[in-house]
Amino acid sequence: MAALKHFLLRVVVTLLLLAVPVLGVWTFTEADRWGLWFPPMVSSYGGSIDKLFYLILWMVTVTFVGTEALLVWFVFRYSKKDPTRAIFTHGNHKLEMVWTAIPAVLLVIVAISQMEAWTTVKMNFPEDGPYTREKPLMEVYASQFDWRVRYPDAQGNFTGADVIEVPYDITVPEDTKVVLRLKSRDVLHSFFVPTFRLKQDAVPGMEIPVWFEATEPGSYDLICAELCGWGHYKMAGKIHVLPKDEFDAWLAAKRAALYATD
Amino acid sequence: MIQCRNRRAAALAAALSFPVVACEFHPGAEELSYALNRPVIEQNQDLARDPGAQAQLAGALEMLFGTAASPRFLAEPEWVEGGFDPNYWGEDLVKNDDALRTSLEASNRTTFAAQIAAIEAGRFDAVVRPRHADDLWGWWEELKAEKSDDAAGLKSEGVALFAEYYPSLRASAALYRNQCYHCHGAEGGGNGSTSAFLEPRPRDYRPGKFKFTALKGKARPRHEDLFRILAEGIYTTAMPSFRRFSDAQLHGLVDYVRLLSIRGETEILLASFYEPDEGLNFANVQENYLDVVSKWRAAPEQLIAFDGTIPASTPERIAHGRALFTTPGDKGGANCVSCHGEGGRGDGPSVNDPKQSTDDWGRPIAPRDLTRGVYRFGRRPIDLFRRIYAGINGTPMPEHIGMTITENGQQRTMTEDDIWDLVFFVRSLATHTPAVAQHGGGHGGDLGGGH
Repeated sequence: MAALKHFLLRVVVTLLLLAVPVLGVWTFTEADRWGLWFPPMVSSYGGSIDKLFYLILWMVTVTFVGTEALLVWFVFRYSKKDPTRAIFTHGNHKLEMVWTAIPAVLLVIVAISQMEAWTTVKMNFPEDGPYTREKPLMEVYASQFDWRVRYPDAQGNFTGADVIEVPYDITVPEDTKVVLRLKSRDVLHSFFVPTFRLKQDAVPGMEIPVWFEATEPGSYDLICAELCGWGHYKMAGKIHVLPKDEFDAWLAAKRAALYATD
Repeated sequence: MIQCRNRRAAALAAALSFPVVACEFHPGAEELSYALNRPVIEQNQDLARDPGAQAQLAGALEMLFGTAASPRFLAEPEWVEGGFDPNYWGEDLVKNDDALRTSLEASNRTTFAAQIAAIEAGRFDAVVRPRHADDLWGWWEELKAEKSDDAAGLKSEGVALFAEYYPSLRASAALYRNQCYHCHGAEGGGNGSTSAFLEPRPRDYRPGKFKFTALKGKARPRHEDLFRILAEGIYTTAMPSFRRFSDAQLHGLVDYVRLLSIRGETEILLASFYEPDEGLNFANVQENYLDVVSKWRAAPEQLIAFDGTIPASTPERIAHGRALFTTPGDKGGANCVSCHGEGGRGDGPSVNDPKQSTDDWGRPIAPRDLTRGVYRFGRRPIDLFRRIYAGINGTPMPEHIGMTITENGQQRTMTEDDIWDLVFFVRSLATHTPAVAQHGGGHGGDLGGGH
């Protein structure tokens, strides 16, 4: 009777423990349906970032499921009432080599697979399009606690009296490689556009080039992803992607509005 | 020594009392009441010594403006007869203006897109409660109950309810406490908990004095002036753009700021004119209240209107502007140089004069460095024109229209054309054209640089 009770207890504990990895994996498979997965992806290079994410997610999943399976099995197997004394072991050269080599190989795989995404997003800035590092579409100023974008005047100057300054709303053309110059007026901020899979720190004293190509018209969230002070939560913005002709009309209207007298 | 049993009992008691303590602590309770304007009370010895009179003052203010949780104006019968109710001040203004009403509705349709889609599809129970709009939710629930057997009516009236939403003062006060309170304080005294960390300090609304308006004569701000500050923010200060809220919510915040400001101004008047033998009689309270409200109602008349197109900026006009700018007042110029310096870098001789470098709120203030091209109330030529025309309320920046100047030995008053010339010169400073290289180079470097 006592033996049966003990066996049942082992089964219950093992099943409870098993519930952890099962629930964990299940939340991932269901997250999309609950609206907790990625927001839509609307940039030209977003796919390569997502691919990297999934590569790492699969590696972690295999490791997680494997480790949990072992753990569950050990809990069941070694909770048996067994008079055998435990043995003491110290060091196993072969085992240590294996558990060092496997993560090393995985890291090398991650390192090699990320190279293309990194060079695309952070190194190879557009050179042939209308906007380049030297001639960006706009300057984005981060400050405590808002985003402000500055478009150049008709001559392309960013310092003239006729530049256009807009808080909160950043408007860009669709299907165009847009380059912007990111600046901070005070502390560290981070320019984060989840739908573009783009995140770049704004560093005071630095002019950091950022580029993206939006593939779908619409309005997307811009948020500050670096805790920048007590008003960090207020630091939101919108990126409005307009078809090219609408963007040109918008910019022309903005230039004309500079000379309004209302 | 503590016995094990006692220790356990102590831990248990602590664990049990935690929820009690947590319930006793209401972080929101304190902000739900208005405090009196202490510095103003202290200035009137009779009032400062008499707690009864202070309670009377608080009571009078509550009669006129309600409580922080439920703010409302006391509407004078004569106003209501004339079609003016201060409780619907902003709403009437917005809904009687075609452009404003259209943009309000467009903004509501974006903000409540999900709710409107659900109502149009007839899924009334799937309408999600919107954030920061308790009044709207209450109206919707009422409407739903009232039209429970009339789906078509509920559909059309429900859509209209969301699309034409304009927040009540009560809902705006709640949003104010959520977003503005921590800097501007419960009474709008600019003394919220985060205000001490800021330079410049948040505005104290209570004297009814606002720096950035399109008005002359130090007038109270118009609805549009305050709305613009909320939407655009004030660059290089801690006042951010609140564009992430809908037009309706920003209009509502303007309404509440106006209430706080009128309340604060009335309080200052009542406190400073209080005399113990007269007390706070109703006629006196009413007179001051009417006086303050009428000042706010008259604001739009003070707009610096400019009809027609802005004149073209020519080298001659810039040169004339430069001459006005750089000539000191005693030599008949516009005297800008005394504060902004010869190169416009905000390094004129008066930065060392304490009187010229303190604003009406008693805070240190520096003249703008105009070479940076950062202008707090907008960079459009018309914005700069209005700044120079009327000055900046509460600061040493004076009104320029009608100022006496001497040119070619002739004394005359400054005209709109002169102000445009100054605008063009100021704008040329930001472009780093040769005007700066000739005149501004090497004058004091970055000292006192425009903060």
